[in-house]
This record gives sequence, structure tokens and C-alpha cells, in this order.
Amino acid sequence: MNSLVDRFSTTSAQSEIRRAQALAADDEEFSDAAWGSEAGFGSLAKGVPTFSVPSIADPSAFLRLHTDDHADPNCRIKIQHGTTTLAFRFKGGVIVAVDSRATAGSYIASGTVKKVIEINPYLLGTMAGGAADCQYWETYLGIHCRLHELRNRERISVSAASKYLSNLVYGYKGMGLSMGTMICGWDKTRCRVPAVFYVDSDGTRLKGDLFSVGSGSTHAYVSTAAGHRDAFSGNTCNLYHIKEDGWHFIGNYDISKMHYDGPGDVPGGPGKGYGYDIRVEGRSSANPPPVAT
Amino acid sequence: METSFAITGKGYVIVAADTTSARSIIKMKSDEDKIKTLSPHLLMAYSGEPGDTVQFAEYVERNIRLYHIRNLYALRPSASAAWIRRALATSLRSRKPYSVNLLVGGYDTSEHTPHLYWIDYLGTMSEVPFGAHGYGAYFALSLLDRYHDPEAPLEEGLATLRRCIDEVSKRLVVTPGKYKVKIVDKDGVREVEL
Amino acid sequence: MSIMDQNGGSVIAMVGKDCVAIASDLRLGNQALGVSSNFQKIFPVTDRIYLGLPGLATDVTTLKERFRFRVNMYTIKEEREIEPETFAHLVSSTLYEHRFGPYFCEPVMAGLSKTPSGGYKPFIAATDLIGCLNFAKDFVVAGTASEKLFGVAEGLWEPDLEPEDLFETISQTLMNAVDRDAYSGWGCVVHVLTKDKVITRTLKGRMD
Repeated sequence: MNSLVDRFSTTSAQSEIRRAQALAADDEEFSDAAWGSEAGFGSLAKGVPTFSVPSIADPSAFLRLHTDDHADPNCRIKIQHGTTTLAFRFKGGVIVAVDSRATAGSYIASGTVKKVIEINPYLLGTMAGGAADCQYWETYLGIHCRLHELRNRERISVSAASKYLSNLVYGYKGMGLSMGTMICGWDKTRCRVPAVFYVDSDGTRLKGDLFSVGSGSTHAYVSTAAGHRDAFSGNTCNLYHIKEDGWHFIGNYDISKMHYDGPGDVPGGPGKGYGYDIRVEGRSSANPPPVAT
Repeated sequence: METSFAITGKGYVIVAADTTSARSIIKMKSDEDKIKTLSPHLLMAYSGEPGDTVQFAEYVERNIRLYHIRNLYALRPSASAAWIRRALATSLRSRKPYSVNLLVGGYDTSEHTPHLYWIDYLGTMSEVPFGAHGYGAYFALSLLDRYHDPEAPLEEGLATLRRCIDEVSKRLVVTPGKYKVKIVDKDGVREVEL
Repeated sequence: MSIMDQNGGSVIAMVGKDCVAIASDLRLGNQALGVSSNFQKIFPVTDRIYLGLPGLATDVTTLKERFRFRVNMYTIKEEREIEPETFAHLVSSTLYEHRFGPYFCEPVMAGLSKTPSGGYKPFIAATDLIGCLNFAKDFVVAGTASEKLFGVAEGLWEPDLEPEDLFETISQTLMNAVDRDAYSGWGCVVHVLTKDKVITRTLKGRMD
């Protein structure tokens, strides 16, 4: 049954390969790369970029051999597993917060990764899962958001942009793409409200008020402790605020400094560190009876 | 999915465990008590492999009771926890190890201090101000980092526990329905309704 | 996922001039989830021997208890304190007893041994998980951050450091190495052993 679907369906991975192979045959003389100026984004005239796909039955299983560093630490392509990203909607817009740690196995490869992709001055995308996948497709989304603006003399809505991304990655479903992202922005036209959309490589697209994605997401849903508790999240936190006039970068905060000293003199701040041991210093659960005098 | 929490406060430990007993996809029972009273001031919440859990909990219960009968006084929480840990560690290298995760909470009547020990099936033990087992831990621990207070009176402690339970039911896909909650303090052990 | 990485943690020991230092992190994890930030991995054996036990936490506790028992028995039988060299062989043989079902710990020892002239000589050693002894003259490392510790220690260590300089060197080595390891960190503890006292300091490390 499955082989039948593979042979005749127009959306399966198999047919995707056939199409890609056919296209590759057409373009044999001049590849996209040869034209340099398109910077690997493919021929925009044709609409979607095309990739050379290995000519084997199951491309995602093939890819897994080279990407799954659980099974093989020497794999060629490192997928970024550990991350905490958080975004929520409120009256004043959208807040986006992400950590900056990149790990390869237990090694902390970098503590200064940018996990927010500035798609354009009023759209932000967060990055969890495959770093390259997120970077490429969100940049690509930026190109199309601009094209939309030029064609329609109107800014693209967050909803439409996220749908565009969702449809794009859905086309590659089952081929090993890995991304969990939140597309955040403020709709200028029509509804005029802040919006957050969750999009992942399964093809899920959800509208919501609060999302958290990544290995530290369970911690982030309830408090500021994600960078503390999760071994694969940490180092620093990049904070963005999206207002009506687009996104503003608030700052880069050292998570250990937040633990020990807190955010400093800010309205609503605790005035000291957020860390549990800092917060409860000197407090004891011992309950000795009052000493008779 | 099985979940258990425990938190300490001013002169007490609260231990909570869900009450479901599951077998594959079927809920066999929804009022199972998974917290044992080991001695007048000692509680133990257990979870893990079905069968192993009750066998191991009863083995511990009887040995702690035996100590009490022989010596006329109960083993203190720190000593009890060390003994239980050793039992698990020994079992780990036997032909058929017990897969049981524990939260041992007790009140030391001689130093007037509550103690809580987080123990996993490998025999890893750590004394903690609050602890959790199961997927609930991924939500509860960071929530407690933010809201737990070692000097909280009992009412406040119960409110914090309720917060943990609410968060887990909000975010976890398969969430346990009911919880049994027990308290140990200077007056001994008692059960409360949340 | 190796069983040695289950709980995380690292230990390092260094030789100085008439002194030794041993230091470890304080994290106890359950894979990626941090459970405790006060899990001691270094234990005093005598006034002049300290033992560090990075590895699987259940075996850390079990081995700590076992070594305490064996050292106590030795002290009672011999009516004297155990010497570092002797203790190293006790550690080695205890681990080799479990050759076919080992304890997942790699002990690191630091101590001062008595010389015939009545002075003290620095001593450090480490073994693998089945008890192969490694007597080093400079430093020994073990745990999830061991590769990183080797790298930093190779760059920072120099011979004949005074106690305060040795403290600085071992602290900088450990702190910088664990900051590159996902499974180690959450604060550090350092012990510097000199002929007349032991200096123990807890360091504030990165908490992420």
C-alpha cells in the first residue's frame, strides 16, 4: 500500500525526490550556485529553491546517519538539541526571550549563539532544533515577506508569514528537517494586534498567547529557571520587545549574573538574585521549640 | 504518567503522590495510596515499575518497623534514608534490581528539623528542600525554585504544592487525576485533602 | 548516553610546593535536569588524605561508605593512620574486586605522605574505574569535564606553586573547564592541604 502511495502520490518524499531529480536534470548546465548572486536561495523566479536529494528510498533515514549525534558523536552535521526559547503576547506587544548556549554532546561549543532571527524590522523568528534549518528558512521567509510587500503595497501579516513558513517546511516533511520556531510580530494592517505563531517541521502551526520551545521549555513555562535547571540551556539571555513600531532589542543578560545579583534596579525586580539559594539565604525550615527562660 | 512531589517548610514535610495505578493504556485503579508511613515521623512516596514498587516499599516498611520494635525507638530520618538507599544500591547489582524511585520525608524529633531525601532507582540520594519524580519534575522543580520558602507556614506550603499540581495538569499531556497528600511534622503523620 | 555521564561532575588534583590541592564541582544531575547544587564528591580520609569520587552518584555514595569502613578497619588493626600510597593501593584493589561489574567511579586522591626525615611530600594519584593506578607528578583529572580540565591544566599549571598560588591555579582551571561542560558546574569546592592545615573554600560558579 505504502509503495503505491510512494509511486503515485504528489506530496510524498519519493515524489519530491523525483521532482528534484527531474529539475536537477533540467538545470544541469547552470546550477543555482553558478549564478552566485542568488546566494543559495535558488532561482526566485521559479518560486521555491530546490535541493539535490540523495537518490535512495528513505532520505530521512540516510540523513539520520549523518546527523544523529546520540548514536554517533562523530556525525558530520551537528543538530542543535539544547535550547530554551520563550515568547508571549501581552497588552504592550510581544516579549521574546532565548538562551545562547550551543552544545555538541556534553561540550558547550558556544555561549554566544544568536537564537533570534530578525526576519525584518517587525518580524522575529526564534530558533530551536536544527540551527541551519531555522536560519536558512527564516531568512528565506524574510525574502518573501519583502516580495509580498512590494507586490501588495502592504506589510505581510504575522499569520500569513507563519503560514508561508509552515507550508514551505511541510513540503519537506519526512526528509529530516528539524525546526521548532516561533514567529512573532505586530500586525500593522487589519487586526492591529500583537501575534505569536508556533511553527515546527512536522507542519504544526499554532496561534497562541504563550509558547516555549526546546529542551528547557518545561522549566521556562513556569519560571525564569530554565537556564539554571537545564544542562543544555544557559550562558546568556537575549531579550526582545515587539511594539507597534516593530521589534526592539532590550538587552543581553548573563544568566549566572541574574542568578546571583538579579537584573539590578528595574521596576518590579526582586532587588536581588533570582537563584533559589540566593532568594532563601539564611532561611531555615528547622522548628526548635522556644527556649524556656 | 506517575508523578510525586515533596516540599519542606517550617517544621514539616508535605509529600504528595498521584493515585492512579496504570497497566499499559488502562487505568486499573484511581485511589491507590503510594505513600507509606514507615515510622511515627517518617513518610515515603514510591513510584516506578509495577510490582517492584509495592514489594520494595513493604520490605522497607517492615525492616524499619523491626528496628523500632528491637530498639524501642525509631530510626532517625537521615539514618533511615541511608539504609533505604543502600538497599537500592545493593539491589542494583543483583540479578533482578528494584526499579523504584523514592521521596523520603521525615521529621527529626531530636533536632526539630524536617528532612527530605530524593532517591532514585540507582540508589542516588540527595537531601533537598523540595523534590519530584516523574515528568512532573520538569515543571515542578523550576516552579519551586521560584516560589518555595523554607520558612513557609503549613497553609502556604500546601498552596505552593497546589500550584505545582495545577501546573502539571495544565502542561503535561497525560496528567494524573487525583493526588494523595500527607504531612509529617512534630505531631507525627497525617493525611490532608487538597 | 554513557552511564558515567548520568549524574555529571568532575574532580581535579594538583601538586604544589609542599602542598597539594583537590577540587570538584557541586552539581548532581539526572541527565540534563539539575537536581542538587550541593552534592559533595570529595571526602576527607585522614587529616592528610582527601579522596575525590566523580562518576555515577550511587557509586560515589557507596564507595565513600566502603572506603570509610576499610580505612577504619586499617586504623584499628595497624594502630596508625593510613599513608597516601597505601590508601591508593587500597582504592585500586577495592575497585579491581569488581572487575566484571565495576563501580562507575574514577577516584582522584590528593595527600601528603611522611618522609623518613619527618617532612611531608605531596602525593596525587588517580585510577580508572577498575583500579588502574596513575601516579602523576603534576595534576590528575577525572569526570565529565576531564578533557576540558586536561586542556586548561596543561596551560596553567607550573611546578612549585605556593599554597595560595596553587589555590588560584586549581580554581581557575576547574571553573573555566566546567563552564565548557554541560554536565559539570553549579559551584565548586577547593581543598588545599599543607603540612599544618587544610584550607577549604567554596567557590561561586556559573549556575547555568
